Amino acid sequence: MKKYLLTRIVLMALTLWMVITITFVLMYAVPGGPFTKQKKIPPAIMEALNEKYHLDDPLHVQYIDYLKGVVKFDLGPSFKHKGQDVKDFIKNGFPVSAKLGLISISFSIIFGVCGGVIAAIKQGGWQDFSLLIMATLGVCIPGFVIATLLIYVFGLKLGWLPVYGIQSWKGFVLPVMALSGYTLSFITRLVRSSMLEVLQQEYIMTARAYGMSEIVVIFKHALRNAIIPVVSFVGPMISIVLAGSFVIERIFALPGMGRYFVESITNRDYTTIMGITIFDTVLLVLAVLLVDILYGWIDPRIKVHD
Amino acid sequence: MHMQELDISEDLWEKYESTESTGDAISRPSYTYFEESWRSLKKNKLAMIAIVIIVLMIGVAFFGPIFSPYKYDEQNLDYASLSYRMQTYHLKEDIYIHLANGLRIYQVSKDGEVESFVEPVETDMVKKTKTYQISGETFHIDFNKRPIQIINTQGIHLEEAGKVFNKTHLLGTDKLGRDMLVRLMYGARISFTVAIIATTVNVLIGVMYGGIAGYFGGWVDNLMTRTVDVISAVPMMLYIILLMVVIGPGLKTIIIAMGVVFWIGTARLVRGEILSLKSKEYVMAAKMIGVSDLNIIIRHLLPNAMGPIMVSLTFMIPEAIFTEAFLSFIGLGIPAPQASWGTLCESAVEGLQTYPYQLFFPAAAISITILAFNILGDGLRDALDPRLRN
Repeated sequence: MKKYLLTRIVLMALTLWMVITITFVLMYAVPGGPFTKQKKIPPAIMEALNEKYHLDDPLHVQYIDYLKGVVKFDLGPSFKHKGQDVKDFIKNGFPVSAKLGLISISFSIIFGVCGGVIAAIKQGGWQDFSLLIMATLGVCIPGFVIATLLIYVFGLKLGWLPVYGIQSWKGFVLPVMALSGYTLSFITRLVRSSMLEVLQQEYIMTARAYGMSEIVVIFKHALRNAIIPVVSFVGPMISIVLAGSFVIERIFALPGMGRYFVESITNRDYTTIMGITIFDTVLLVLAVLLVDILYGWIDPRIKVHD
Repeated sequence: MHMQELDISEDLWEKYESTESTGDAISRPSYTYFEESWRSLKKNKLAMIAIVIIVLMIGVAFFGPIFSPYKYDEQNLDYASLSYRMQTYHLKEDIYIHLANGLRIYQVSKDGEVESFVEPVETDMVKKTKTYQISGETFHIDFNKRPIQIINTQGIHLEEAGKVFNKTHLLGTDKLGRDMLVRLMYGARISFTVAIIATTVNVLIGVMYGGIAGYFGGWVDNLMTRTVDVISAVPMMLYIILLMVVIGPGLKTIIIAMGVVFWIGTARLVRGEILSLKSKEYVMAAKMIGVSDLNIIIRHLLPNAMGPIMVSLTFMIPEAIFTEAFLSFIGLGIPAPQASWGTLCESAVEGLQTYPYQLFFPAAAISITILAFNILGDGLRDALDPRLRN
C-alpha cells in the first residue's frame, strides 16, 4: 500500500510539473505581450510595466520564478484587474464553486442511485421506462440548454425561483439542477445496469432463499456491489461538474471561480487563465488520487498491491 | 454345408440416397462480419430511425442553405427578432398587421407572409401612442398599459385575426434580422464539420498510438501507456480552452484543439484490442511467412479491431458536437457572422425572456442529434457483439 501510494504521488507530481510547464509555454507562445492590446503605451511606461511584472527577465528565470510561486500558492498578479492577484480570485470564487460542485455531486449520487435502483427493481414497468427516458434525455441535452430552459420555466414563467445570484438557498436550486443534469442521468443508467447484473447473481438468490425481506436483499446485499461503478465515476464526474460550472456560473451570474475563468478568457487575462487552470488541475488530480484509494478500500476484489 | 437358395428379388432393394452432400451444404449464405452486423442492426428499429435522422441532418446541413432564399450573414434590422408565430390583427379587406415585440408593426398577408415593415407616421411620447398609415387607413397603437391596444380612427379595437405561422422566415429571425432557418442549417454544417473532422483526426491518432503500443508491447508499450496515464489525469477541457486562447478562436482552432486532446480513449481501446488479437494464430501465421510488422497491424489486426473502433467513433461525434457547443458558449467559438449551434444558443440567451424560440430551435437541434448518435452507438455496440447475435 505504501509503495503504491508513493508511486502514485511521484506520478502525480510529475503530471503537475508537466501541466505547469505546458501551461507556461502555451501562455508564453501567445503572440504579443500582455499589454499589446491596450492603447499605445509610451516605451518608458512599457519598460516600467515589464519590469514590474518581471517580463524583462530571461525566460528560464521567469519559469523558475513561476514554479516557485506555484509551490507557495502565489500565482502572480492579474494583468487586467489592477491591484488584484490571481490568488484573490481563487479565494473569493472557490468557496462558491466548491459549494455548488459538492451539492451537485451529492445530489447526482443520491438521486442517481435511488433512480437506478428503482428502475432496476421495476425493470420493464412504467417507472423503469420513464426513468430511462429521463436519463437518456439528460445525457443528450447540454447543460446550458437545461439551465436556460429551467430559467425560462421556473424563473420567468412561473417566477418560483431566482434566476441569478445566491442570496438565499433558493438561488442554488436551479444551478444545481442544471449542473447535475448529465451526471445524474449517467449515474441512473450506470446503477440500473449494474443493479440488474447484480440481481442475477447467485448470492442474491441465496439471500432470497434464506427468506430475507426484499428490502434487506436489495439494500444490504445487492446495492453494495451495484454502487461500485459509481465510485469509479466520481473522478470523471468532478471533471464534468467543473467544466459545467464555467457555463452554469456564467448563466446564473454566480460569483464562482468558473465565472472568473470565463471572464478572464473574454478579457484575455493570461495570468488568471493560467492560474485557475493550474489550480483546477491540481484539485482534480488530487481528487482522482483520493477516489482511487477509496476505490481500493471499498471494492474488496481490487487489492492495492504492494 | 447346405446353402439355401435365397430368393432375393430386386425390389427388396432400395436405392440409397446419399446424404453426404447435404451434410456439408451451407444452410444459408455466409456473411462477413460486417454484413452480419448490418443485418442485426437493421432489426433494431430505434437505431434505424437514428440513422435516418442523422442522414437527414447531414443532408440538410450541406444542401439546405443552397435552397434557402436567404444567406446566413444577411442582416435586415427592420426584420429583427420576428417570431416564427405571429399574432395578427385585421385592418381592412385583405390587409393584416402584426405587432412584434418592441412596438414594431408589420404588414402581413392572411396566411402569414411578412409584406413590409411599417414606419410610424407620428410618435407621441407623452400620450404614449404611435400612429401608422397603411394604404390610406390610419390606426394608432396605445402603449400606456398592457396589453397594448390597437385602435383605428373610429376608436374601435382592431379585431384579432388569430395566430399564423411566419411564411417568410419559417423559424423567425434573430436579433439582427437574419433568417433563423438558414442560420440553423449553416450552423449544422459547421457543427458537423467540426465533429467529423475532429473525430477522424482523433481516431487516426488513437489507432496509430494504440496499435503501436499494443503490437510491440514491452518497454515501448510501457512507456506509451504511462504517457497516456499521465495525460489522462489532466482535465482535457481546460487544455482545449487554453489552446483556444493561445491560437485564437475559429473553425481550425477548434478542430486542432479537439484533435490534439481527445485521442486518449481511442488509443487505450485499440491497445487493448490489439493486445488480445496479436496472440491469435493468424497473426502467427502471417509472421511466419514474413509479413512485415506494419502490414500485420494494418492488414490483419486493425480490420479485426474495427468493431469497437466504430462504436467509439459513433460516441465521439456527439461528444465533439457537445464540446464545440460548450466552447462557443463560453465565448471561444466560431467568430461572427459564422454560426454554429453553440454560438446560436449563446447569442439567444440574452433575449431568452422575450424571444425563447431563438434558443429553442438550436437547442433542439443539438439535443436531437446527440440523442440520435447515442442511440445509433448503442445499437451498433449490440450489433457488433457476436454474443448478442442469434
